[in-house]
Amino acid sequence: MQKKSVGSRIILALTLLFFYLPILYIIIFSFNDSRSLTTFTGFSMRWYEKMFADSSMMEAVIYTVVIAVIATVVSTIVGTLTAISLTQSKKVLQRLVERTNDLPVMNPEIVTAISLLMFFSALKISKGFGTLLVAHIMFCIPYVMLSVTPKLRSLDPHLTDAAMDLGATPMQAMWKVIVPQIRPGIISGALIAFTMSFDDFIISYFVTGNGVQNISILVYTMSKRVNPSINALSTLIIVLITLVLGIVNLVPIVREHSRGKGGKKMKKSTYAIIAAVLVAAIGAGIAFGGTADRSRREAAIEKYGSDTMKLYLPGEYLGENVIQDFENQYGVHVIVENFDSNEMMYAKLQAGDAYDVIIPSDYMIERLMKLDLLQQLDLSKIPNMELLSDAVKDLPFDPENQYAVPYFWGSVGLVYNHETVDPEDVESEGWEVLRDPKYAGRTYIYDSERDSFMMAFKALGYSMNTSNMDEINGAYEWLMEMNRTMSPTYVTDEVIDGMIGGNMDIAVVYSGDATVILDENEEMSFFMPEEGTNIWYDCMVVPKNAENPSLAHEFINYMLTYEAAYDNAETVGYTSPNAEVFEEMATNEDLYAENEAYVPRVGYEMDEAFTDNEVLKKTLSELWIKVKAPK
Amino acid sequence: MKQFRTITWGYVAWLAALVIAPMLLILLYAFTVAGNDVVTTRFSLQNFYRFVSDPVFVEVLLRSLYIALITTVICIALGYPIAYVIAKLPEKSNVLMILLITMPTWINMLVRTYAWMGILQSGTVVNTILSWFGVGPVKMIHTSFAVILGMVYNFIPFMILQIHTSLAKMDKSLLEAASDLGASRAQAFLRVTLPLSLPGMISGITLVFLPAVSSFFIPKLLGGGQYVLVGNVIESQFLTAGDWNFGSAISLIMAIIIMLSMWLTRKVDVQPESGKE
Repeated sequence: MQKKSVGSRIILALTLLFFYLPILYIIIFSFNDSRSLTTFTGFSMRWYEKMFADSSMMEAVIYTVVIAVIATVVSTIVGTLTAISLTQSKKVLQRLVERTNDLPVMNPEIVTAISLLMFFSALKISKGFGTLLVAHIMFCIPYVMLSVTPKLRSLDPHLTDAAMDLGATPMQAMWKVIVPQIRPGIISGALIAFTMSFDDFIISYFVTGNGVQNISILVYTMSKRVNPSINALSTLIIVLITLVLGIVNLVPIVREHSRGKGGKKMKKSTYAIIAAVLVAAIGAGIAFGGTADRSRREAAIEKYGSDTMKLYLPGEYLGENVIQDFENQYGVHVIVENFDSNEMMYAKLQAGDAYDVIIPSDYMIERLMKLDLLQQLDLSKIPNMELLSDAVKDLPFDPENQYAVPYFWGSVGLVYNHETVDPEDVESEGWEVLRDPKYAGRTYIYDSERDSFMMAFKALGYSMNTSNMDEINGAYEWLMEMNRTMSPTYVTDEVIDGMIGGNMDIAVVYSGDATVILDENEEMSFFMPEEGTNIWYDCMVVPKNAENPSLAHEFINYMLTYEAAYDNAETVGYTSPNAEVFEEMATNEDLYAENEAYVPRVGYEMDEAFTDNEVLKKTLSELWIKVKAPK
Repeated sequence: MKQFRTITWGYVAWLAALVIAPMLLILLYAFTVAGNDVVTTRFSLQNFYRFVSDPVFVEVLLRSLYIALITTVICIALGYPIAYVIAKLPEKSNVLMILLITMPTWINMLVRTYAWMGILQSGTVVNTILSWFGVGPVKMIHTSFAVILGMVYNFIPFMILQIHTSLAKMDKSLLEAASDLGASRAQAFLRVTLPLSLPGMISGITLVFLPAVSSFFIPKLLGGGQYVLVGNVIESQFLTAGDWNFGSAISLIMAIIIMLSMWLTRKVDVQPESGKE
């Protein structure tokens, strides 16, 4: 029985190959020279430098590890005890608890997440580390019980009685008789719990607050483009885990040599915890370097009432040093939180979460204004407003710039490969080129109901904010036809890598992303159809429930300065609202002088911004699923 | 062991507060229409009707169940032999293998899925290998194959863990007894090992099937936006359309279907229990 057959060796080898192929890929791409996640362009350590320079990443690693370790320990103990005690309960209760336990496992995470968000908000519990931990313990326990229960079932029910007949107390019976028998179940339960906690995004996103973010939140909110530092971060985690495993496996061997055997399994888990805590401590040392000196903080408190403000914006949407520079200059602390979409941000605002500055998009700002959730800005505190370029002043949703200060703006257009696509076709057909059978199977469509219906409306000569049912149905037919005849590929951020790699001929792309594509692939051109397109604006706003509005004004004013705006534009690549920065980026030969995507069309009458219409949005969202879903 | 009852009731209270109470809110949303404002809501079955009456939604739901089922079957077919081989290893390498299999799951799911996207993109590793055999290039990204591969990769560790748990520490004298009584190795496996590992397998099915039905990142990235599964629909109702009522109703419909299928699966579980002793 013990001899290893060739067959089982092959199975093990293939298993490991399967599991580690993507891991190997991640490690290789963490050394990639370019931003691409699919094409390796050369060796570089830049993502590691960026990762170590980014304190939010390091903090996220620590929160993730600490939460995962505590949640695993607590849920394993509670889950095991509950599973054991349940065996003594009535069958009905057992069944009931088991079925209820399935709920968090079974429900889409978003359902559990939203319900927890509402629950914590209803109880007015301040969100952060505590709520995150409770939520993780909550969804981890069922996994532990699911692993322990089958092992308990196969246990002889008379074992405990026998032990107690022989004089054991219930506690002794449990620790000495039951636990050793079900140990494999406990271990696998703990492993699954750890995995679930370590990798959780949606629940974590909705129950956290006050700047507490785990790795998953960081990764998923990179909505404006995935930052390859995440590969470097993953590699770092792999190295750390390997180290921990190494320690866990080596220490008992060393100890065995000096002592004897006995209870080494339990010891192993103790070492695992010690090692994990050590790693967390080392990480903490790296992350929390220096803090602003005291006297300046006191001065800031004197001036603004508090030295801390909360900023809420899409992921990967800040210049590399902007926050640090602002903190140093004003002696304050900025808590940064990221969101993945305007709607995710809106859900948290509705639950009552307070932020000082938020950066949503045009239509969402309109909604927030309608709901009276925004403060009117004190423009005397934002003298730098005069630095804005005229193109972003007096926007339709905020005609006198009283509520919103532009942060980035841009348009939507077509990126096409001028080697394989006749520029004549694109220019004469506009959006209609996406239905030109010549390019069937060679197009990327941006997977969002807003942008897709926008191009259909525009192609048909309607306003993209129409509520006319005939026009909506016309656009729906237009898209259905496109789906049928062209079988396009629907993507979101992957469009950037895909077009850089030249995988498709034509793509619908945001101008900021087009800038990147054109920069990396010379065969690509950008075109804004004459039927009109979407011009979007992301702006800084101050909610009514802001806790530090005066620092919020200072921050907005700072973000408008040449230095901050330049840093933002340089890092993110979107079009800057600062007139001087915009001019420089658009004319500098080394930057975007040759790049037609960087300068959005201004003042073209067919172009529009989205307005807020919730009913229309629900309708379009449902229709969009019907466009894509049929096979 | 009466003192353990306290623990049980403590957990029931915890479940009531953190699982049941929030679920009631979802129930409330599912059976009402109009805004996210409780004041203006009114009772309605409209959300359910909207879903059931539309063939596209029903098709999406069936497709999701089908993909999840295939994923589960593959996870058992591949996971069982792997777990079996691991369980037979000497204890030290046994623990190590289990850790090696769990470790990749500690890397962010999105990052791992991005890696698969790169691997499956045409012109890379797999197609190079295929071309040695004169096959390909095959389009792999944005296909059912890619989605199922992604799901199996993501969920199979749980299946392996669960089956392994029930195989580990199995009383080996049972197998000896079986062979003493004249059973062949195949018979011993079918009559002894397999039934004993069934509870673990059912836990494994729970851990693979349930999350597979509602997963949405994997289909979105590996299947492309056109690969709509019910998880994507629910997610978009909550996060893009802002229609929480409809989203709640869909997840409720899904929950009921899943509960029924799990109830059927667990019926199988009763056999070894009663067959014991």
